[in-house]
Formats: sequence, C-alpha cells, structure tokens
Amino acid sequence: MKRILMGLFVFAFTLMSVTGAMASDKLIKGNMRIVIGSKSTGGDTYQNSSIIAEALSKKLGINVKVDAIGGSAGFRTIQRTGQDGTTVMIYHDQAYLGYLYGVKGYEEMFSTYKVGPLLAINPGNAYLVPKKSPYQSVDDIIDACGKGTQVRVAIQPGGVSEIGYTALKNAVSVKYPGKQENLVAVYTGSQADKNQLLFDGQADLINGSVQANEQYTRLPADDQKAMRFVWLTARNQTLEQANPEGMGKTSREELMQFVEPKAWVPYDDKTNFTFDKEFIFLYNKDIKPEIVEYLDNALAEIYAEGKIQQTQKKSFFIPDFMPSTKSAPYFKAKMERIKKIIDGMK
Amino acid sequence: MIHTVLADITPTFLILIPLGVFIGIFFGAIPGMTATMAVAVCLPLTYSLSLNEGLALLLGLYVGGISGGLVPAILLNIPGTPSSITTTFDGYPMTLKGEGEKALKVGIASSLFGGVFSMIILFFFAPALADVAIKFSYVEKFLIIFLALTVIASLSSNILFGVFSGALGVLLSLIGTYDISVGGNGETRLMFDFMVPYLEEGFSLLPVLIGLFGLATIFEEAAKGITEEDLSADLNLSNKVRFSWTVFKGQFINLFRSSAIGTFVGMLPGVGGSAASVLAYTQQKNFCKEPEKMGTGEPSGVIASESSNNGLTGGALIPLLSLGIPGDSTTAVLIGAFTLQGIQVGPLFIGDHLDTWYTMVIALAIANIAMFLIMFFAIKHIAKVITVPKYILFPIIIMMCVVGAYAINYGIMFDVWTLLIFGLFGYFCSKVGIEVAPLIIGFILGKSAEIYFVKSLESFGTLTIFFTKSPIAMFLWVLIFISLGYSIYSMVKTHQKKQEDAQK
Repeated sequence: MKRILMGLFVFAFTLMSVTGAMASDKLIKGNMRIVIGSKSTGGDTYQNSSIIAEALSKKLGINVKVDAIGGSAGFRTIQRTGQDGTTVMIYHDQAYLGYLYGVKGYEEMFSTYKVGPLLAINPGNAYLVPKKSPYQSVDDIIDACGKGTQVRVAIQPGGVSEIGYTALKNAVSVKYPGKQENLVAVYTGSQADKNQLLFDGQADLINGSVQANEQYTRLPADDQKAMRFVWLTARNQTLEQANPEGMGKTSREELMQFVEPKAWVPYDDKTNFTFDKEFIFLYNKDIKPEIVEYLDNALAEIYAEGKIQQTQKKSFFIPDFMPSTKSAPYFKAKMERIKKIIDGMK
Repeated sequence: MIHTVLADITPTFLILIPLGVFIGIFFGAIPGMTATMAVAVCLPLTYSLSLNEGLALLLGLYVGGISGGLVPAILLNIPGTPSSITTTFDGYPMTLKGEGEKALKVGIASSLFGGVFSMIILFFFAPALADVAIKFSYVEKFLIIFLALTVIASLSSNILFGVFSGALGVLLSLIGTYDISVGGNGETRLMFDFMVPYLEEGFSLLPVLIGLFGLATIFEEAAKGITEEDLSADLNLSNKVRFSWTVFKGQFINLFRSSAIGTFVGMLPGVGGSAASVLAYTQQKNFCKEPEKMGTGEPSGVIASESSNNGLTGGALIPLLSLGIPGDSTTAVLIGAFTLQGIQVGPLFIGDHLDTWYTMVIALAIANIAMFLIMFFAIKHIAKVITVPKYILFPIIIMMCVVGAYAINYGIMFDVWTLLIFGLFGYFCSKVGIEVAPLIIGFILGKSAEIYFVKSLESFGTLTIFFTKSPIAMFLWVLIFISLGYSIYSMVKTHQKKQEDAQK
C-alpha cells in the first residue's frame, strides 16, 4: 500500500512538474476569454470568433472561450482587464464607426485600445428590397431619390449598416445634388426587425447580409417574405476570393452582379464606394508587447497552416490575416476615408 | 428519408438528450442561471459533435432549463427563470400549505403537456404559423405586451397601489441606455451622471427578480425571527398532501389554452417567455370560477404558468426554423449551433434539411419525456429541500443567489449589489403597500413595451395606428378591454362580498 501511495505521489509530482514546465512556456496562462462586440451568438462576429478561438485554443494549448457581451460591455471589459492577454476582444469596423457616428460607449479606438491583428472579411454586407419592388438595382434607388421619391432604408444606427446608408446618401448627392434628403433612415435593431419592416412595407430597402437573407431571395415573388439583393458593399476583388459555390444556392457569380462594376454607388465623380466588413482583435491599451507578438505569431502560424482558411471560406468569410503592426495603420487609413464621407453627410 | 433520420439517431444522440435535460434542470433550478445560459455555456461543445448530436444536447438543455425554473419558484418563492415568475404566485403558497411535492408534480406534468403540445404545433404548422407571425409588426407586438400588462389590474389587491407599482416597475426597467442594438439613440436616461458606469445597461432582470422575490422573502423571515421549534414544522413533508392525477380534472381547457398562449407568444420574436406565462395566468384568473382564490395556492395557477412557459419551447422554434429568426433569447443562442456548423436557417431551412428537421422534432419529443421522467421521479427527493432547517437553508439560498447574480453577466459585481438593493427594496415594499408582483411584471415587460411603442410611432407617425393598423390590432384591443373590464368587475364583486361578509 505504501509503495502504491509513494508511486502515486511520485507520478503526481512528476505530472505537476511537467505541466508546470509546459505552462511556463506559455505567455498566456490559464484561460483566454474573447469578448465580442455583438450580443448575438447567431451572427457573423460570433461565428468568425469561434473559428479563431478554436484554432487559437489548439495552437496555444489553452481554453479559449467566446463571450457574446456586446460592444459597450466588451469595450469596458478590455479597458478594465486584459493586460496579460487573458481577455481580448474581437470586433469589426463598428469599433470605429460607432465613434465616428457619435454612439455612446464608443471611444476613439486607436488611443483607447491597442489594435490587434486583422482576421477576416465578411463580404456579405448587403442591401435588399422586396422581390416585387419597382427598384431593380441600386442605381434605380439613387435615381428615384434624385427624382424626388422618398426611399426608406431600415438600418441599425451607428454601425456597418449605417455606413451603407450614408454612402448611398452621398451617392445621391453626387449624382443629384440637394436631393439626398429623399433617402431616409428608419432606425431599428436586429435583422428580424429590419426584415419585419420590409414585410410591413415600412421600409423600401433594408440592410441585411448574404448569410442571413439569401434564403429569402429564393422565395417566389408572391411570397410576402421574398426579397432581392440590390447591392453588396464589398469590393469586387474581395468577393472574387469567396468560394465559387457562394452561399446557400446563390453562387459567387450571381453575387458578383451586386458589386462593382455592376452595382455602382458613386463616392465622387470618378470612384465607386466599397466597404469590406473586417474583423480585428482589440486589446487593453497596456497589454504587454510580448503578448501582442505572441498572439500575432500564433495567428501567423495558424494562417500559414492553411486549415483555418477552409473553415472561414465554408462560412462565407474571406481569410485575411494582417499582424498588429500593419493592421493599426491600415485601419487608421480606412477610418480617415470613412470619416470624410460621414462628415460630408452630417 | 426514414433511413437517414434513423441513422442520425445514434446511441450518442440518445444519451445527449437526457444529459442535456439533466444539466438544463440544474441551470433552471439555480436562481440566476437560465436555460439561455445553459445553452450558451454548452454551445462551444457542439463544435466537436455532429449537427444533429449538437442539437440533441442543446434542445435537451433548452427543455430542461425552462422546466427547472419551477423548482425554486415553488419551493423557495424564487423564480428560477423569468418565465416561472407566475409559478411562484400559487406554487409557493401551496408549499406553505404543505403541498410542495404536489405543486411540483402538477408543474412537471403541465410542463410536459405544454412542451408536447408546442412540439406538435411546431411539427405540423411551423411554416404556416411563421407567415402568421410576420403579420405581427411593432404595433401588434406592443398591444400583446399591453395585454400582458393588464394582468397588473387583475393581480393587485388594491388597484391604485397595483397600478402605481406596475408603473414603478416600468420606470425602473427604463433606467439605462436606449440601446442602439434595438434601434435606439444610445443615450442614457433616468439617472445621474455618476450612476452611468454602473447603470449604463440598466438593472439586470434576474438579480432584480431574485432580489424582489427570494431575498425579500428571506429578509421577512429573518425579521420575524427563526426559532428552532418552527424550523421545519410548518413545512414538514410528513404532513404533505399527496399528488393525484385528479388535480387535472376540469383543467383541460386551462392546459390547452395556456399551452396555446405559450406557443403563440413564443412564435412572436421579441415578446418573450415571461409575457407568455403572465398572459396565460391572467386568462386563467379571468376565466376560472373562483378568481379570488388564485394566488392563494391554486393548482390551476401552476398549471397555467408551467404549461405556457413550456409551450414556449416549440413556439420559439417556429420563427427560428421557418424564418431564421429566433423566437426568444434561448433560441437566439441555439441559432449559433447552426451557424457554427455553417448551416443557414431561414424560410427554406425545413425543405432543404428535412432530415435535420425530423431529428430536431424527435429530439424535442425525447427531451420532453426525459424531462418528465427525471423530474417527476426525482422530485420527492428535491422537495425535501424544504425540510432543511431555515438557518441552514437560507444562507445557502443567499449564497446561490449571489453566485447566480454574479454569474449572469459573466462577473459583474454591480449585479450582486442589484440583488441586495432589490432584496431590501422588496422587503420595504411590503411595509409601504407597494405590490411586488405588479412591480416585477412592469419591470419585465416595460422595456419591450417602450421599444415597440416608440418604434410604432417612428414608423407610422401617428397614435391612431394602434387602433387602426390591422384587424389583429383591433381584436387585441377587444381582448385588452375584456381583460381590464373583467379585472375591475371581479374586484368590485370581491369587495362587495367582503362587505356582505362583514355585515353578517
């Protein structure tokens, strides 16, 4: 009995020493919590973050959990904690768009947080009309506003859906100066609410996504729920990287009809407005630089292995890794570009 | 097709459902933890499972989590989940009368009925009902919530105090930010600047609920003083009233109506489970022969509440599977299971994924049966909790409440303060005549009422739209007036009866 006990003691001691040595190799010890800027576990942020979390968990050998707590709560969380990398945030362009639109709880992200790596693009940010709508294209909508018809757009305020609305308003002003007031925002919440406004005839155009609305576009025209895409904000080059099968039963080729050059939303006289919805890591401002590097390296290795790209593409994301050193200036430039258009429409 | 479906029913599938139910019951039964939390916590596990196995686990958790809420509601007067609030109205008085085990079994059997009823409706009518659900816009949803709010009149012992308490509840629910995620302007209101860091998101529902009901009850007991002699005397299970199926005699209409209300409210995205149980309870109170007995330990109250909140399960899956829109907060998490597997849920989901659809219905059926078997036969042991001396039980409950409150938003200390503040507030409410039940109903429904009211006005620009929007809106007004009229009528009748009794 004594021998068994001694054996067990030696085994436990050895195990503790080995795991202790392994743990000392890890810069992030214990669990890692990824808070996301969305309260939904059914949306693209949760889906993409889960893919990243699973890959990081395997790579770093730690538990990584995604918590859908929403924008403001997420920001507060990483401001309060996370210097050691155990709490990080994944969000998308709304992180700075919210600030540009003056939404409470959204601070200037470059001075308040540490901007981490870019992870992926969701090329599915879309605008839809009822299938029976007289507007066949986004151009028809711009022209209708120009001719004095009021067009109501259902969006969620202060985010990615509003930037499309602002761009469309800008496009009306470029093509028909002074007529932009004919494009009216109907502020609402979830995708369900936006869809409902379309079903009720209270909106002529809604913000949606390829992922959430594709099935509605396949319904027969006499169905009250039937919709049609008219515009995807993604760049042509971005969508070209999506799987050829596209999403659901809508192929990539079919979706290409709703991006430039087929769908043209003038930014100015010469250029078209495009917007790729991109996902990034955000950290506590005082996060240790070695942790930032550690996560950058881990993600670089994950992307170099190539498996994550397949998973992301299967879920209609475009893999697009960019380390922290490059992503911060990249997003700063993107924010400046977007700021101009928002300021112009204020 | 049958072969494909049968192939999906693996031993793992069959094990995961009762396992999910079992874990879900615990989540539902612990104050502060909910079915939504159970599903959210276990969601990442589905990554390693196939879609059907993942759904089996999550549906088990869903059914178990919703059902588990009745245990603390009945035994401890603490609603385990927001939708079991009306279970406390009659369930706890039954426990005080020594009928705790009976109340639990009534609740469990009613939950089974509600769950199976809604599953049948889901299976046969999902796409058709989804088309009905989209007829309910902001206006109709506001009117449904308004109808649920009329229960305040029916539940109040003094209508003036009751309406005041309900309005106070609504006001408390509006503290915080008018969230942009519901289309609001992101501004905070009803608070001073120094409160913003704590109350930006308002008071969390569950700490308020547990504080007002559970903690306040404990404070009251503590104020009375606990002597060793009465530790378990009044709640001794040896004096218990045995459960008999005859309790359901004459309750079929109640069961059917409440399950139908639960299913119906469940299929309206954004209205929520608490509204379902509140509506079902009101209707039972309005239609039963002796409404004055409701709230004093009537099994029909437990039947109405529990059949409706389990009726919600199938109902909330209708818009999820037919429109891709979750019906309640738990199905909103459930959608994550599909997303993680890269599957689109939308109006063509059922047709495109018939095997998954059949497997889900089978999983729901098994989950309901498993819930019944686990709870019904384990309940006599669970019911023994009330025989635990209060000086041991109460600290444990307080600890569970604190842990639950802390956990609900993943570790926000202010939620624990909320629990204590509302515990004390609930204790003083009873001293000054503020009625807790109307207050909490106002609190639960206030936020949704505001959103749908404001959005209706923003969309249509006129108040008259509430009366003229659609035949559904007009019909809802009829129900609202009947509900209010009947509440006032029964109150006058009860008052007269009291006066007559006094004269005699």
